[in-house]
Amino acid sequence: MSSTLHARGALLAASLLLSTAAPAAQQTSPPPEAQKPAPQLTKAPSLLQSVEAQYPAEARAQGLTADVRLLVTIAEDGTVAEVKPAENVGHGFDEAAVSAVRQFVFSPAEVDGVPSAVQVEYVYHFTLTAPATPEGQPAAEAPKPRSILTGQLISRGSRSRVAGATVRCGDDPEAPEATTDAEGRFSLEVDPGECAVRVVASNFQLYQTTETLKPNETTEVLFYLVPKGSAYETVIRSERPKKEVVRRTMTREEIQKTPGTFGDPIRVLQNLPGVARAPFMSGELLVRGSNPGQTATLMDGVRIPLLFHLLGGPSVVNGEFVDSIDFYPGGYGSQYGRAVGGVVDVATRKGAADTLHGSLKADVLDAGFFVEAPITDGVSVSAAARRSYIDVLLPAFLPKDDGKSVTVVPKYWDYQLRVDFGARSKEAPMPGVARSTGYVMAFGADDQLRIVSSGEKTDRDLKIDTHTNFHRVKGDWTYRLGSLTSVFTPYVGLDKAITNVGTYHEVDTISSMGAREVLSLELSRALTMRTGVDVYFDHLTSKVEIPMPARTEYVPFPGASPEAEMLHERLSVNGFDGGLFWESDLKLGAFTLTPGVRGNLQRVHDRYNLALDPRLWLRYAATERTSLKGSAGLYSQNPDTFQFITLPYGNPKLGYQRAFQASLGMEHRLTDVLNVDVTGFYNRRFKNVVEPGQVLPQEGGGVVQERFSNDGVGKAYGVEVMVKKERASASDKVHGWLSYTFSHAEDGRAGPMPTIKDPLFGGEGSDNAYGLSPWDQSHILTLVAGYVLGNGWELGGRFRLTTGRPTTPLAHRFDIYRGDGNEFEATRGAYFSARTDTFHQLDMRVDKSWQFDNWTLTAYLDVQNLYNKKNTEFVFDDYRYREQYKVPGIPILPVLGMKGSF
Amino acid sequence: MKCWGLVLALGAVACVDPKDKPDLVHDFRVLGLSTERPELYAPICELTDEAIDSLRSEVTFRALMVDPNGQGRPIQYTLWACADADDTTCSDTANRVKLAEGSTNEGELSLAIHPGDTTAEDGTPLLVRVKEKDPYQGLGGVRMPLVLHAKAGNEEVYAQKLMVFWCPLVEGMKPNVNPTLPGLRLEGESWSASGVPEIRGKGPFVLQAEDVSALQEEYIVPGLREYQQAVHLKESWIIAWYATFGEFSPQVTGGTDFGGQAGRHRTEWEPPEELGEARDVVFWAVVRDGRGGQSWVSRRLHWSP
Repeated sequence: MSSTLHARGALLAASLLLSTAAPAAQQTSPPPEAQKPAPQLTKAPSLLQSVEAQYPAEARAQGLTADVRLLVTIAEDGTVAEVKPAENVGHGFDEAAVSAVRQFVFSPAEVDGVPSAVQVEYVYHFTLTAPATPEGQPAAEAPKPRSILTGQLISRGSRSRVAGATVRCGDDPEAPEATTDAEGRFSLEVDPGECAVRVVASNFQLYQTTETLKPNETTEVLFYLVPKGSAYETVIRSERPKKEVVRRTMTREEIQKTPGTFGDPIRVLQNLPGVARAPFMSGELLVRGSNPGQTATLMDGVRIPLLFHLLGGPSVVNGEFVDSIDFYPGGYGSQYGRAVGGVVDVATRKGAADTLHGSLKADVLDAGFFVEAPITDGVSVSAAARRSYIDVLLPAFLPKDDGKSVTVVPKYWDYQLRVDFGARSKEAPMPGVARSTGYVMAFGADDQLRIVSSGEKTDRDLKIDTHTNFHRVKGDWTYRLGSLTSVFTPYVGLDKAITNVGTYHEVDTISSMGAREVLSLELSRALTMRTGVDVYFDHLTSKVEIPMPARTEYVPFPGASPEAEMLHERLSVNGFDGGLFWESDLKLGAFTLTPGVRGNLQRVHDRYNLALDPRLWLRYAATERTSLKGSAGLYSQNPDTFQFITLPYGNPKLGYQRAFQASLGMEHRLTDVLNVDVTGFYNRRFKNVVEPGQVLPQEGGGVVQERFSNDGVGKAYGVEVMVKKERASASDKVHGWLSYTFSHAEDGRAGPMPTIKDPLFGGEGSDNAYGLSPWDQSHILTLVAGYVLGNGWELGGRFRLTTGRPTTPLAHRFDIYRGDGNEFEATRGAYFSARTDTFHQLDMRVDKSWQFDNWTLTAYLDVQNLYNKKNTEFVFDDYRYREQYKVPGIPILPVLGMKGSF
Repeated sequence: MKCWGLVLALGAVACVDPKDKPDLVHDFRVLGLSTERPELYAPICELTDEAIDSLRSEVTFRALMVDPNGQGRPIQYTLWACADADDTTCSDTANRVKLAEGSTNEGELSLAIHPGDTTAEDGTPLLVRVKEKDPYQGLGGVRMPLVLHAKAGNEEVYAQKLMVFWCPLVEGMKPNVNPTLPGLRLEGESWSASGVPEIRGKGPFVLQAEDVSALQEEYIVPGLREYQQAVHLKESWIIAWYATFGEFSPQVTGGTDFGGQAGRHRTEWEPPEELGEARDVVFWAVVRDGRGGQSWVSRRLHWSP
């Protein structure tokens, strides 16, 4: 066979991969900090200058051809920074292709309108053709008849349009080929007859079929391409440069498929370093020794007032609506405030730009849907909603008795809606022209719980009825002009809580509004400044009718529960909290220095609180793959406005909770998909709000106890290790991470204990001013791994090993009986001098997807505690405090769920 | 189930079944403590000599001590008056006064004492010392802890009873009287102290107290937030149920929850699942009025599997 050598390439313009090489990423301009992740590719790179590869001689001699898939990192100036084969094909093709592509020049890609380094997949075709027509042979005079093959490429199972794919007939390198546009459409003019259609697209399997094309006719086709790897669509984006000492980002796929978390966006964070394991399946975020409530959870920058349905149920953040989650365990920037622990920022999902997509999901507790679609050019919408049906199922399991009537109705629902403007415009931004994008989002949740028990066979008629809900509407306007970026985020909210228990009625309403404005200005490649304002106002009203409670209204007698006259209260409080912040990135060679400061002002009633929080980050790029990093700073968290209500139900004199956080660490990229991060931290919390406060004698002889005070202190230190393996491409089968934390956390009070130690409204008091934190866990090891088995099967596992939590042992020598309250008192050993048993548990998850042309059906089985380990979650004392009993955690728990998406 | 941690946590706690339960009396216990009268009133609210003199009256201290498997062994006891309610073993020797000591057997111990007529080691009236240590400064009455230290064999109990000394801090206050149960009912029938009814089988058997609603007193206490503010309350008695065999559900009846929902004095008694042999079972019902008043009744029945 005589042969002519042909080596040609095809750039898959839409194949920006999930991860960008670190050196390239560090050269990019930082996105505005107030904006959530999800930067968008606004201009794809195009090939300006190509170089033909040398056809490997041996391969030519053997008549071999090949398609070499390459991962090409294009620097922000369009030159090729790095090339490597995605899969080796051998026979010298890989080396030849790499050598040629290194000399390519592209037009720079733009992310959010800014030239950026990106990584693309590039397919280099090595083909052999028949010998050229001999010279002197006359050419055909008559024009040949032509045929047109036109159509659209669609991702099988999701209906996504496949852009940037090449379509041609056969293997002939001289044959014309077409590249699909953003809608996945193509048009190819070829000779009539049999066309062996060959479609090459990144992250999709090679598609081949045969079409018979009639002369001078147009044949319209619809091809469904089969995605490689997971059934789910891969999120396409470039990586943001990392300035914070620690920012851990979880993608939607990681969130939805981490075993043991049931796709719960908040609970999945418990698998990251620095987060202590919460008992049972509680979703509390216990970050670097901080207490529950000291980590702020935001949705697109707006604080979520209530994290979980029905207190400890599913989180109100619907996993389907989440695009990614950024988790900052500490040392975060000045734009974040109102937290002395960590910060969780949930980025919601923009609507699809190509066509209508959606999903339906159902499991034992609830069912929900998600839809996304473009409305017009540049405008897209996404929406999700979920509703529980426990209230329908539960009556079937409640006991039925003639003399006893029991009704339990738990019910919840939530919704999310987002409309984006401008972000998806097909028009590439013009240099020097201002560009605005934005969106409006609404989200909310509603919980109801009703328990009624009555009848002659009961010892008490009981009626409990609670109803809580919240709604938030926020806007986002991002304006870019040159190196200036402005992000304005106003929001309003309404929270309501209604409680009816017998004659006790309470209605609490919080109306809130706030806004953030962040200005980012890149003064030079070495200096970027960000500054902004973050204000929040809320108005709380409370209407209460309650039998006069002991402790606050009169001196209680041990064990007493009298009928009391009614107390009628109407309370109203206005609260304001504002922050002014500034920070600057200063690049000095391999060093990046980020000093910042945040000034906070809170006003409630006549109380003014001020706090100034200077912060500093330092990052040193020791090598292209290794960075050293450190941070130190002060952090403040405002007490909630309701905590300022008048004594004894609040404390109008509360001040900011404060913390000093410091960290020092190193991160190293072992390979392009394997990273290791080691960070040490030291946190000191002070002036934290604790309950109860001090007992205050009143003028005229009364005695009032503060419900809260700023007496709380704590400290924590430790080391976090994170080793993460990402998927290199859709065909990479393995991903996961290893998380290890060593920590020591202390918590308690400064100064004297109040003379009355029990909290005013229930809970357990403590005789100890200071000691180990009840959440302290010295060692926390978590291993999460997923494997794509193929044919729609995926397997995931999570293994956890943690030190048991502190407990105080009993030291019983004799019974101590308080006869008036009919209760015993414990004699205990040293405070928190023992621990529960070491916790270990394996959770597994299997997913199976069936891809149809227009939709995908996925079933999953998530099994908690696969080997049924009886882990001790709590230790309970018997009534005389003679013995302790271990309360086991969740036994083996299989959960089956179904999801249909299109 | 999906992440319903709260429900699972509660469920898991419910699954823990301690061997030793308060309603099953199987060893030496103090089930009730009372003073007759439960409150002493002074005519004035400053602890002057005159006021203290009015509080030196004799009261009767009673303790219900049971020891079903003690076979009549002696019980050594000491009764102290102390100054600090948190000193549950009366260990502060400088601020305690021994009121009585001796030996007795199971059953009701009755002692005549003068708790108001006591002084600390430094000569300060103990009532003054009690008020000094009270974080509420006497607004709930001067509550003097009486601590009974009782020992039967190797079993030892420190049992505390608060003796209330009060004065008319706000208008309408009057001394408390001990609650008295008008009677009990077993499976709807009146159950007298002298009768030994026979019951058979697994049950459950319904036990009730005769209606006490008319006996529960209305009373007034000083408010905490305003000077001489009066808070109007009504007793809501609580009965703790005990037996030498089987278990109750619920173990305690009555009282009012924070929503004002009052309980009924109705409980169910069941023999254990492993029924065992026929036997006489002793029952006790200890009633508390929630302001220091306390009394008890005892009943007996014969149960057969």
